[in-house]
Amino acid sequence: MKNRIGVYICHCGSNISDYVDVEKVKEIAGKEDSVVLSKTTMFACSDSVQKEIIDDIKEQKLDAIVVASCSPKLHLFTFRNVAQRAGLNPYNYIQVNVREQCSWAHSDNPPKATEKAIKLVKAGIEKAKHSQPLTPISIPSNNAVLVVGAGIAGMRAAIELAEMGTEVFLIEREYFVGGRASQWNELFSTNETGREVVSRLYNKIIKTNNITLFTGADIDSKSGGVGNFDIKIKIKPRHIKPNCKLDLENFKKAVEACPVDFDDPFNFNLTKQKAIYKNYPSEFPEIPAIDFDHCTKCGKCVKICSEIDLDQKEEIINVNVGAILLTTGSSPYEPEISEFGYKEIDNVITLQQLKRLIELREGELIYQGKKIKNVAFIYCVGSRQVLGENKYCSRYCCTSAIHTAIMLKEKYKGINNFHFTRGVRTYGKQEILYNKSSKQGDIFLQSFADSPAEVYNEKGQTFVKIKDVLTTDKQLEVKADLVVLVTGMVPRENNSINNILKVPIGRDKFYNEIHPKLRPVETVIDGVLIAGSCQAPLNITESVKSSLSAAAKVNSLISKGEIELEPTLAQIDKLLCEWCDKCTSVCPYSAIEKKEVNGKVIAEVNEANCKGCGICLPVCPTNAIQLIGYTDVEIESMIDALID
Amino acid sequence: MTKSNEYDALVIGGGIAGEEAALNLANIGYKILLVEKDLSIGGKMIHLSKVFPTLDCGACITTPKVSETARHPNISIFTNSVIEDIEKHYENDFSAKLVEKPRYVTEDCTGCQICEEKCPVVVEDQYQWDLVGRKAIYVPFSIANPRIAAIDIENCSLCGLCEKVCPAFAIDFSQEEKIHEVNFKTVIIATGFELFDPTLIPRYGYGRFKNVVTAMQMERQLVPTRPFNNVLRPKDGKMPDNIAYVLCTGSRDETVGTPICSQVCCMYSTKQAQLLMGALPMADVTIYYLHIRAFGKGFCEFYQQAQGMGVEFIKGKVGLIKEKENGNLLLRYEDIQEGIVKEAEHDLVVLSVGILPNTDFSTMFKNVKIEQDDFEYVNQVDELSSPAKTNINGVFVAGTSSGPMDIPDSILSAGAASAEAAGYLKGGKK
Repeated sequence: MKNRIGVYICHCGSNISDYVDVEKVKEIAGKEDSVVLSKTTMFACSDSVQKEIIDDIKEQKLDAIVVASCSPKLHLFTFRNVAQRAGLNPYNYIQVNVREQCSWAHSDNPPKATEKAIKLVKAGIEKAKHSQPLTPISIPSNNAVLVVGAGIAGMRAAIELAEMGTEVFLIEREYFVGGRASQWNELFSTNETGREVVSRLYNKIIKTNNITLFTGADIDSKSGGVGNFDIKIKIKPRHIKPNCKLDLENFKKAVEACPVDFDDPFNFNLTKQKAIYKNYPSEFPEIPAIDFDHCTKCGKCVKICSEIDLDQKEEIINVNVGAILLTTGSSPYEPEISEFGYKEIDNVITLQQLKRLIELREGELIYQGKKIKNVAFIYCVGSRQVLGENKYCSRYCCTSAIHTAIMLKEKYKGINNFHFTRGVRTYGKQEILYNKSSKQGDIFLQSFADSPAEVYNEKGQTFVKIKDVLTTDKQLEVKADLVVLVTGMVPRENNSINNILKVPIGRDKFYNEIHPKLRPVETVIDGVLIAGSCQAPLNITESVKSSLSAAAKVNSLISKGEIELEPTLAQIDKLLCEWCDKCTSVCPYSAIEKKEVNGKVIAEVNEANCKGCGICLPVCPTNAIQLIGYTDVEIESMIDALID
Repeated sequence: MTKSNEYDALVIGGGIAGEEAALNLANIGYKILLVEKDLSIGGKMIHLSKVFPTLDCGACITTPKVSETARHPNISIFTNSVIEDIEKHYENDFSAKLVEKPRYVTEDCTGCQICEEKCPVVVEDQYQWDLVGRKAIYVPFSIANPRIAAIDIENCSLCGLCEKVCPAFAIDFSQEEKIHEVNFKTVIIATGFELFDPTLIPRYGYGRFKNVVTAMQMERQLVPTRPFNNVLRPKDGKMPDNIAYVLCTGSRDETVGTPICSQVCCMYSTKQAQLLMGALPMADVTIYYLHIRAFGKGFCEFYQQAQGMGVEFIKGKVGLIKEKENGNLLLRYEDIQEGIVKEAEHDLVVLSVGILPNTDFSTMFKNVKIEQDDFEYVNQVDELSSPAKTNINGVFVAGTSSGPMDIPDSILSAGAASAEAAGYLKGGKK
């Protein structure tokens, strides 16, 4: 039992003290037995107060401390570190959350907020009394990483990680690398094409020693934890022999011979593709692939090209890595049928289709056999929805639409652009593009959320109608040859990854980081990081920043050879355990195994896998399991203090 | 040259971006020299109240980072210091002059502030954006790091009272500028941004009308360590009940030389409006805007939350501000939706000033020249795939030195700079 406890009640500026009477909490805490010191502080986390706490611990010979401040999610490690620097075991530090749980939650009732804070602090003191000194577990870590998704973010992180000395396994679900960027022509703001950036990165990857790239590859299963993940990777066959020396003539003939024709997703269904394919000539890896979902196995291509092998089988490869970085990217929002006339009126397409169309059409812009002059862009399709679920702004689309409109005018004669916006969001330096398009004569109109633009067809002619805020709510109408839906971003469908890795997903369906400012690329799953547009809509530069940021975090996490883990683990009493299998069946981390010890069959905990979630405790019929750091005696004494 | 002057990386600027970059590199194991021109590290962020879109309190997020940076065994910090004459000799071989300015107070200072009580000189407190005064000897602000007093020698009357009362005998008027020759292998520029000076738009009356304040002055009135412990208008100390925000003050405005959008003002104004609704429950808050740029993760929802709380958003550009005798202000603006010029009365006007590059970095280099973009930020030579790369190999850019950005973006940008610098340190030529 600890009997020289120091208690600190934080004002948090005024975040806590505006609603909780911190002086009263301090007084009452000071009267608890075993408490030798009770203080209030303006900001407990500030450096000067940290120093003061350290001095107190040393001078007053404190054997445990309690800080009543914010959520432990914010500062548990800050104060554990304070304890450590003062020579106190970090696990003899207890944090009580009187901000999120008292002052913020009960700002309408300060006396009650104070009362609750007093009880929580008393419970914290009880926990401190029973707290045990613990030592973190140190596990070896493999300085290797699995990067999932070889779009620009993934490729870029892979290169930087390899340069920092981490071994990289880069896997891509498609047969070719580059992700969405390979579908785009010139990009804002450098006017390099997406494909040029992809080629540049791919060539670097090939020259870098410690990157292994697998295409057509997906995670099949995962075991182990941070520092030591065992991953099975499933690799789809390409159906072209490895080390094939690509004979372009033969490949062309094989493509011509292929009898299968289906909508080409690379061109967003604007064109057809064959089962044997490359999306564009300079695509990487250089070797074509056969889409077996559509191939009829007729064998016509095999007769032309002996390098084709329709009998290739799926492969499973095992890799061991210390961390996993998800850069799985995003997809364009697919509008509902009849949403702004989509798939109902034949000259309504998406922005992504238009971008492909510009690349495919030289000389004149022709769609459905008709020459295009008036182009109407409808913004915020699938973003900032009033009725739909996507409440978020997709960030890149305003700039992307305006950039595309500028390209239209540069490439084709006689184009008139009409932008039906919900307020243009060309933030930062992107504003220059908005200026440029306005100066070249583009017309911008705007409506608010309650009166979206309408698309309708009358006598074979398509119109877009809007109640325009910019011209005193006048009803304006534009005869459009082409309606372009400026669709937002949604995360890629990653069901298998989501099931295997269990990364938390936010309300917007993107992956969720721990904290946007403190830990922006880490997830609550230790060793699993996220970057790029799988996390939130981002443009290419922003995706790369986040992926490089993640690269730095991954490297510092796994490059030291070992990782410290929390010692809060389940512990099984060998005498009490009667092996009934109940704990193993509920454990979500497969951390409990059956074991025979001195002739008795009992359950045993695998320390590297146990996350200390405590789910096994209540199911044990003999009460043989204790959670270290949250033992029954600690929890019961806290409850006693709360109901006292 | 002594060995202690050898570092792996020089990080210029101790704001949130510089700290993040320094910590990342230090955690990988590199030795960092962090140089901050101000008296404390923490940059602009340490002075903010709650930050969007999560409404975390700014200090709660910066102070641990500040404290972690300050005590990291691999990071050496020089505050009140500047870097001059950076020379690149080869790849991974740079040198510079580190100029440590005198503080006139030694590290024996305990931050007790007894000297402040005795000091007879009062001047405007730059850390409270001139809302209140401070003494000529002063601890910069309550959560400063290091929390050591400094003497503002230009305003000091040299009366010597502080020296007499200091219980730690920490006052030293004999201190002089110290120059250290330092060597390092890579550089990260994280010199941050400046705020637009609204006196450049005389028709808004800033500086003439006391109840026209900048957003940073409002921010200081909303922080926990606020000077008046309340939101008051400067002219008469009255609690305002009808507050206006004028967005795009010094942004998207070619007449003041800033054609670009500052990327943060829409959101910080929306945030302040929400905080004002809490601080002054009876007050009306109106935001005059051109477009609301709520683009980041959680921003759009945050904007909707403000609308839901009753913040009024008026699409219109404010053309002129006039002062009435009672200190209230008349705003003439174009109501775009109604298509007419209107006038509205408010008792406090907040100018949502934009951000400009701090161009200090441009004169720090000696035998190499750092390129700037059209807007005088550090030029990003490979914006799409190496956003931290500059025209000088081995020199990287983090945070708002490369363009306007918010805190989450600055942190990611700093992460990118640290990764690129780490790759450069490991691989040499790149």
